[in-house]
Amino acid sequence: MKNTKLFRLLAVLFAVTMFAAACGSDDAADNADGDSTSSDSDAEGSDDSGSDDAGSDDAGSDDAGSDDESVDLTQGSVLDEVIARGTLNCGVSGAGVGFSTTNADGRMVGFDADFCRAVAAAVLGDAEAVNFVELTAAERFTAIQTGDADVLMRNTTWTQSRDTDVGMDFGPTTYFDGQQLMASAASGFSSSSTVADIDGAVVCTNAGTTTEKNISDAADAAGVSITLNTFEDFDIVTENFIAGACDIITTDGSALVGRKSVNEPNDWVIFPGQPISKEPLGPTYGQNDSAWADAVNWTVYATLIADEKGVNSGNVDDMLVNGDAEIIRLLGGEGELQTVMGLNADAFYQVIAQVGNYGEIFDASLPPLGVERAGANTQWTDGGLLYAPPAR
Amino acid sequence: MSSSVVPPNLTPEDFEVEYSEEASLPPEDPSLSPSVWIQKNLFSSPSSAVLTVVFSVIAVLTIRGLLAFILGEERQWDAIATNSRLMAAQGYPLDQFVRIWVAFGSLIGLAGFSAAIFRASGTISLKRIAIWVMNIGVAAGVIGLLAPLSSSGRMGWIIAALVVFGVGAAIWFGFGEERRRSTFIPSIWVLSGFALIGVISLWVVPYGHYFLGEDGRATVEEGTVAFSTQMPWTVMWAILVVSHLVGLAVRDRLPAQASKGFLGLLWVIAPFVANWIILRDPDFDYDHVFSTDIPMALAFIVIGGAVLWAQSSSTIGETGRLLAIAILLAAVYTWVSRIEFLDFLPNWSMLQKARLSMLFLGLYGLAASNFSRDNATRRAYVAGWVIFMVIFHWLVTAVNSPSTLNIQSDTYLGGFTLTLFIAWLTLLVSFPIGVVMALGRTSNLPIFRLLSTGYIEIIRGVPLITILFFFANILLFFLPEGMEIAKVAAVVIGYGLFSAAYLAENVRGGLQSIRRGQFEAADALGLTTSQRTAFIVLPQALRVSIPPLVGQAIATFKETALVAIIGLNDFLRIANNTIPAQTDFVGAKREGLLIVSAIYFVVAFSMSKYSQRLEKRLGLGTR
Repeated sequence: MKNTKLFRLLAVLFAVTMFAAACGSDDAADNADGDSTSSDSDAEGSDDSGSDDAGSDDAGSDDAGSDDESVDLTQGSVLDEVIARGTLNCGVSGAGVGFSTTNADGRMVGFDADFCRAVAAAVLGDAEAVNFVELTAAERFTAIQTGDADVLMRNTTWTQSRDTDVGMDFGPTTYFDGQQLMASAASGFSSSSTVADIDGAVVCTNAGTTTEKNISDAADAAGVSITLNTFEDFDIVTENFIAGACDIITTDGSALVGRKSVNEPNDWVIFPGQPISKEPLGPTYGQNDSAWADAVNWTVYATLIADEKGVNSGNVDDMLVNGDAEIIRLLGGEGELQTVMGLNADAFYQVIAQVGNYGEIFDASLPPLGVERAGANTQWTDGGLLYAPPAR
Repeated sequence: MSSSVVPPNLTPEDFEVEYSEEASLPPEDPSLSPSVWIQKNLFSSPSSAVLTVVFSVIAVLTIRGLLAFILGEERQWDAIATNSRLMAAQGYPLDQFVRIWVAFGSLIGLAGFSAAIFRASGTISLKRIAIWVMNIGVAAGVIGLLAPLSSSGRMGWIIAALVVFGVGAAIWFGFGEERRRSTFIPSIWVLSGFALIGVISLWVVPYGHYFLGEDGRATVEEGTVAFSTQMPWTVMWAILVVSHLVGLAVRDRLPAQASKGFLGLLWVIAPFVANWIILRDPDFDYDHVFSTDIPMALAFIVIGGAVLWAQSSSTIGETGRLLAIAILLAAVYTWVSRIEFLDFLPNWSMLQKARLSMLFLGLYGLAASNFSRDNATRRAYVAGWVIFMVIFHWLVTAVNSPSTLNIQSDTYLGGFTLTLFIAWLTLLVSFPIGVVMALGRTSNLPIFRLLSTGYIEIIRGVPLITILFFFANILLFFLPEGMEIAKVAAVVIGYGLFSAAYLAENVRGGLQSIRRGQFEAADALGLTTSQRTAFIVLPQALRVSIPPLVGQAIATFKETALVAIIGLNDFLRIANNTIPAQTDFVGAKREGLLIVSAIYFVVAFSMSKYSQRLEKRLGLGTR
């Protein structure tokens, strides 16, 4: 009895060994003519992946064995990837008041979100073909490098180190921001105050950002001593300001204006008139990808040119026929400026028709927060810094 | 399935003691008159009088401060009213929102029906109802007196308080001492009664309709809430009541054990069906389904069924188990090998299904020797496999089909729906692993003991948030080539493994409370080790472990809030990050956090109350 059991055991173990061995040799055989199999799997695999999260990097999921093809894919431009995928993965903050927030209907809205839609309209012809990827400040550059996001529209300041060391490239600035301070008029400040007036004040800002460093630098430069308190996020900073725990709060000017208008009525003043830092915000993408950079940059330029020439979503059909030569070229009425970029001829027509020009994008999101279009964020013809190269 | 393995001359009902709450209640103290009660309990001695007064003042001041915080003028409760849908289900498309209600309604119907079948609804005496209603009246009165309200608002609250208190008093005095103590009403009807009041209030009370206007700004309309809120909640209430009534009507005609088993199965697959079938709305490619998916499922059903039939033969002996181990090893090999020998399959989703099916076949086959008694048992055993494969292949095919939903973000689940989903799946994942680990830790085989102890101690030594970060961000690099996993799934697996280690310790406590005599008696009856574990040891151990297990379940539910940190939009994150960033509600953070805490409290408190009832019902602590 014992012996039979032992024999059975041995037989099964032997069978398992044979099975494993057979499998191993099968693999080798399979791999030899693996090319045809794997290309099959690619073709069929395109619709079965991305199961749970719609559209997160479908590329990696289906090619089990074919290394060659996946290398090809990453060597190509992000532009090709986006067109093949059919959606744009756009990195946004998700908590940037006025720039990218989820509204009560679950829709991502704001200045940055609209520029995501503009890029999708240009590249894919559909402004709604966007997959918004919410990213924290710490995650954002990694997300570009790993391909989780194709482009960042995420209040990212264009700096030298980010442009070089971090491996990003920056598109045209869509919003010129700058760090300012806000204080109560009751404590003796006015809009003409300067950093030199804040001696001895308790200054609050959010932790771990460049604003912290900027205000220390500015205070040192002005020769004043301040007490710097930092908090987790700007909501808490504002609460402390209202409660009187902070004399002065500081962050980007657009955010200060927003807080001021939300907490009306109050006697808060924002100063100095010339911000203590330069914060040019615009699209950011991985470096050395010209085709993709051109597509994103010219989407922004198209909104600027349309704004400059008075083309908006209401009159774009008319302008396509009756506009000046530059507008007709830009909207795809003639010439092939867009097709040589790898876009559809009507790419920028779709941008203006579905999303709007720069002014429309700005007015949809920022004036409700009290941020008016003035200063640097106006066209060069009005004395601002918005200056798009000509479309020809 | 399990019903078929109980020794034939005993039915499961023989082990169940019919439970009656009335009989088990201790005799009550006689009711005291209010003045006597106050003197006896609050002012029995000078020192207790001082303590009562001092702490009452502290309590009043605290409540007053809290009410001022909650009801103060600067609170923007319209932020919550406008965003209620966002907090419930985040960006789920408006035109498909009915899917949320269908999923919710199915669960409510299942809950109402199960409550009847499992006889889960307790009873509550008229006396306690009267006390509860009067307490609500007192609470409303406290709000009316202490909250910072306009004078008309204060009058409204006080009048409402008096009315509610009056209703409670009417119940109290309307029945005699004897009747209010001995009249018991099923608590589910009491709860439905309160829910009905809430539902009716949606139709008549002008809460106001909060929504986003055409211009994208928050807008308020006077009047009652929107029809799209009134109607679904009314239907939900009706589903609860009807399903419970149906359950009551049919429960005596259904075979108790089989219907309970079937309902248990429904509860296990419900989250999968609700998520992947109802909410995600898979867009099946029927050509592919008929040409590939169904034949593949059939192959596993037929071949697997034949293998299992052979394995459960009473003459196969040890070979059956070895065959199961061989299948298991082959399955594991397909996971760990860099070169997949299943490469001939045309695409990834099929590879995944083949791997998982093989794994399950091996695992299922390990239990075969327990089902070899007669052909009926063997048929039931193989039928279990067939049912499992049908559900499994259907679900995996659904998961791998593209969704018809048009959602512009990573995940289509969010808000409270996501919180519930993660908590539920985590419990489902952690329970079997936890029990297995507990058995392993108390096993006689050193290798099992070593592995289980190592697993439990390592996991218990690592903070949950570390595990979540690991599974959300780093797990991807460890997966076999070509496999990817959604963040939600990664989180559920990581969290489930974490929870399992704690659950294992709770179950181990139960296992160690089983006396030696039970083991010896089982051995004397000639039961195998697995039969002894499954039918003698585990049922008793799990019963003893119920209080800590419910504590673990509550902790699991609450700690889902941590997923907010790794970027999943659960409703804490929506309250903390999303709403305060909206143009209309900049900085409105406290309201959302208050609501989130209230919801967490209500759910956790209900679970804890239910577990108390369960303990009482099972007689824990009394034997």
